[in-house]
Amino acid sequence: MSRLSSLFFTSLLLLAASPSRGQAVIEGHVALPKGHTAPVANKRYEIVSKAGVIATNPPVAVVYLEGTFSKTGAPRAEKMMQKDLTFVPGLLPVEVGTRVEFPNLDDTYHNIFSYSPTKRFDLGRYTGQERPIPSQIFDVPGLVTLRCDIHEHMRAVILVLATPHFVISETDGRFRLSGLPAGHYTLKAWVNSRTTLAQEVDLTSGATTSVDLK
Amino acid sequence: MELEKLPNADVRRFRTKLLIAMALVVATITATGLYYAERKVAAETEHDLQRDFQLGLTSLHGVQEVRHAALAERCRALVERPRIHAALEDNALDLLYPSARDELRDLMEDNAAPEAPPRILRARFYRFLDAKGAVIPPSNAADVGELRAEEDASIALSHVPEQQQLGYIRHRHEGSEWIDEVIALPIISTETGDVIAALVVGFKPVEMNGEISEREFRSGIWLNSRLQLPALRGELRASVEGAISATIAAASASSGSARVSLENSEQQLFFKRLNPDSLFPPAYEVCLYPLTDLLKRQRALRWEAGSASALLMLGGVMVSRFLAARLARPVEQLAVDSEENRTQRVRAEAALEITSEELQRAARFSADASHQLKTPVTVLRAGLEGLLSRESLTSEECNEVSALIHQTYRLTGIVEDLLLLSRMDAGRLAIEFTPVNLSLLLEAWMDDLSAQPGGRELAIETDFPPGLHMAGEKRYASLILQNLFENARKYNRPGGRIRIAAKADGEWISLTIGNTGRSIPVAAQDHIFERFHRGSIGENVPGHGLGLNLARELARLHFGDLTLLRSSEDWTEFEVRFRLAQPAEVGRLSVA
Repeated sequence: MSRLSSLFFTSLLLLAASPSRGQAVIEGHVALPKGHTAPVANKRYEIVSKAGVIATNPPVAVVYLEGTFSKTGAPRAEKMMQKDLTFVPGLLPVEVGTRVEFPNLDDTYHNIFSYSPTKRFDLGRYTGQERPIPSQIFDVPGLVTLRCDIHEHMRAVILVLATPHFVISETDGRFRLSGLPAGHYTLKAWVNSRTTLAQEVDLTSGATTSVDLK
Repeated sequence: MELEKLPNADVRRFRTKLLIAMALVVATITATGLYYAERKVAAETEHDLQRDFQLGLTSLHGVQEVRHAALAERCRALVERPRIHAALEDNALDLLYPSARDELRDLMEDNAAPEAPPRILRARFYRFLDAKGAVIPPSNAADVGELRAEEDASIALSHVPEQQQLGYIRHRHEGSEWIDEVIALPIISTETGDVIAALVVGFKPVEMNGEISEREFRSGIWLNSRLQLPALRGELRASVEGAISATIAAASASSGSARVSLENSEQQLFFKRLNPDSLFPPAYEVCLYPLTDLLKRQRALRWEAGSASALLMLGGVMVSRFLAARLARPVEQLAVDSEENRTQRVRAEAALEITSEELQRAARFSADASHQLKTPVTVLRAGLEGLLSRESLTSEECNEVSALIHQTYRLTGIVEDLLLLSRMDAGRLAIEFTPVNLSLLLEAWMDDLSAQPGGRELAIETDFPPGLHMAGEKRYASLILQNLFENARKYNRPGGRIRIAAKADGEWISLTIGNTGRSIPVAAQDHIFERFHRGSIGENVPGHGLGLNLARELARLHFGDLTLLRSSEDWTEFEVRFRLAQPAEVGRLSVA
C-alpha cells in the first residue's frame, strides 16, 4: 500500500517537475534561522510562538512569487487535519480564495478558532463525525493562527497568499519553484510572522533562475 | 517632749537635717518609681496598641492573601485559555475582554446574585495590561467596571510585572472619594514562560475598624500624601496629614509609630506600608489611637504615687521625729551634761586654784616662819644657858632661867613640827618605803615612856606579836608613835593605864593605843585633828596642838590613817593603820 502511494506521488512530482514550454523555474536557498531541534520526518512542523513571533520548528520558509497572475480555474481546496491532538500540517500556505477543511481525525472534540485579523472564525466544538466537515474560505491574504479552544497547545498557521506560485522550502533552506510565467516579479520568503525576505526577479521562459534569499 | 523643753539649736538643726534627708529620699524614691511606672504604662499601652494595629493588619493581610490566591488561581486559569493567548498573541486585543469575560464574570457579579463569591472577592473593576504595562482598553467598560481616564492611568505600570503587585488608587466620584485596593498579577505564557500581560483587579479595600478592638481609633490609607479618612476635614486634616507625612518621612523603615499631638491631645500614630516593593505608588495603613486612656492611667498613677509618697512622707516625718528624739536624747543629754560639767569644772578649777595658791602661800609662810624662828630660838637658848651658868644667880633666878630654857625647847619643837607640816603641805615630803619592824619600834617607845619624868604610876598593857613589819619610813613612823604615846601619857590620870595592841589585818596592820583619863567632849572630837586645836581639858597640859594633825598627815602619807576609835567613860583610844610589809621584802631585809 505504502509502496503504491509512494509510486503515485513520485510520478506526480515528475509530472510537475518536467518543465513545460514557456515556463520558468526558480531554484535557490533561503537563509533560515538555526533550528533548536533535529529535522522532523514527514514534513511535520511545529508552530512555535516566541516573544510574539510565530515560526515553525524546524525552521522552514514559504517561498512565493508575488505579482499579478491570471485566474487559474476553480477555487482550490485544502485540508487542515487534527490528528493526535496536533494540526497536520502545521504550516499551510494557500492561495487566496482557497477553502480549507478542518477534519477532526481524533476521537475527541476540537474547537478550532482564529483571532487573527486576517481571518477570524470559530468552528465550535465538533467530533470526527461532524458533516459536512467544517471549512472556511480564506479570501484575505495574510497570516492566520489556528488554535483549539480545548487543547491549548495546538497551533497551526495558514499563510494566505495572493499567488498560486508558492512552495515550502526544505529545512536546509533549499527550494525550487517551477511552472512560473516569464516576467518581472518579486520573490518572497516568509520565514516567520515577523520576517519576510524579498528579492526582485526577472524570469525568462524555459530558464532556471537561481536566487539566494537572505 | 523632753526635746521641746530643751530648744537646743544644735538639736533642732540635727532634726531639720534628718527631715530634709528623709524628704529627699522619699521624693527621690517617689519620682524614680513614678518615672519607671509611667514608662512601663506607656510602653504597655504602646505595646497593646501595636498589637491591636498588628491584629488589624493581620486581618487585612488575611483578606489580601485570600484575594491574591483567588486571583492567582484565576490568572492561571486565564492563561491556560487559548482564546486569551490568541487575543494577546494574535493581535486581537479587542477580543481579550470578551474572551476573559466568562472567566472573570463572577468577580464582577452583582452582589445580589445567588452564587456570588464572598464579598471580599467581589471586584469593582478589572483591566488587562499589555506586555509593556499599558492598560488595554476594554471593549465594554460596563462589564469590567468604569474607570475614569486618570484612574486608568494610575493603574498602568512602567512595565509588566513579574510578581504580584499591590497598589491603591484613589477614586473621586460625585463629591465622594474612596480608595480601591488594586492587585496586579502577571499572565505568564504556559508555552514560553514569558510574562505576556497582566491582570489588574480593583477591590474595595478591607477596612480596619473598631470591631477588632475595643479601643476607639481612626484608620485610613495614606496614599500620595493624602489620608483617606473622610471624617477628617479642614485644619484637622491638614495637621493629621502633616504629622503623618513628617512621621513617615522621618522613619527609614516601612513601618513605625510615633506619638503626635492632635486636637490638643496625644495620639499614637502607627503606620505600615501596605505594598512594600510594589511598582504601584507606596500606600500606608495609618492608625491613630487617642492616648486618653493612657493619660488617664498615668494621671491615676501620679495620684496614687503622690498620695503614697505623701503618706510615706507623713510616716517619715513621724518616724524621723521619733528617731530624732531618740537619737537626739543622748546627744542632748551629753550636751547638757557637758555644760554642767564644764561649769562645775570651771568652778572647781577656780576654787582649786585659789586653794592651791592659799596652800602654797601658807606652806611658804610656815616654812619661812619656821626658818626665821629657828635661829632666834637657838640664840635665845644659848643666851639663857649662858645666864644660868653664872654663879651670881640666886636659886630662884636659876629656876626661872631654867623654865625659860625649857620654853625655848618647846618653841623649837613647834618650829620643827611646823617645818615638817609645811613640807608635807607643799608635797615635798616623800616617804621612802622600807619594811619597818613595828614591834621593836613599839618596845623602844614603851621603854622611853616608862623613863619619862614625873611618872604618874601608869600601868602599861601590851598586846602585839613580835616581828610585825610595816611598810614605811622609820623616822616618820617613829614620830607618829611618839605623838600618840605622848598624848596617852599626857592626858592620862594618875594611876591610870595605857594599852598598846597591834595585829595584822589582811594587808594592813591595825595598831590601837588607848589610855585612861578624861574623855574628849563629843563636840570637840571632830576637831582634834585640826592644827593648833587643843582640847579644853589640856590647858595645863604641855603641847602645842600640832601633834595629832602631824601624826595623821604622816599616817596618810604611809597610805594609812589615824582615827579616834572612842573617847568616853575614862577611856580614849586611837587607831593607826599601816600597810603590812610584803613578806618578800621582809625576807630580803632580814637576809641583808
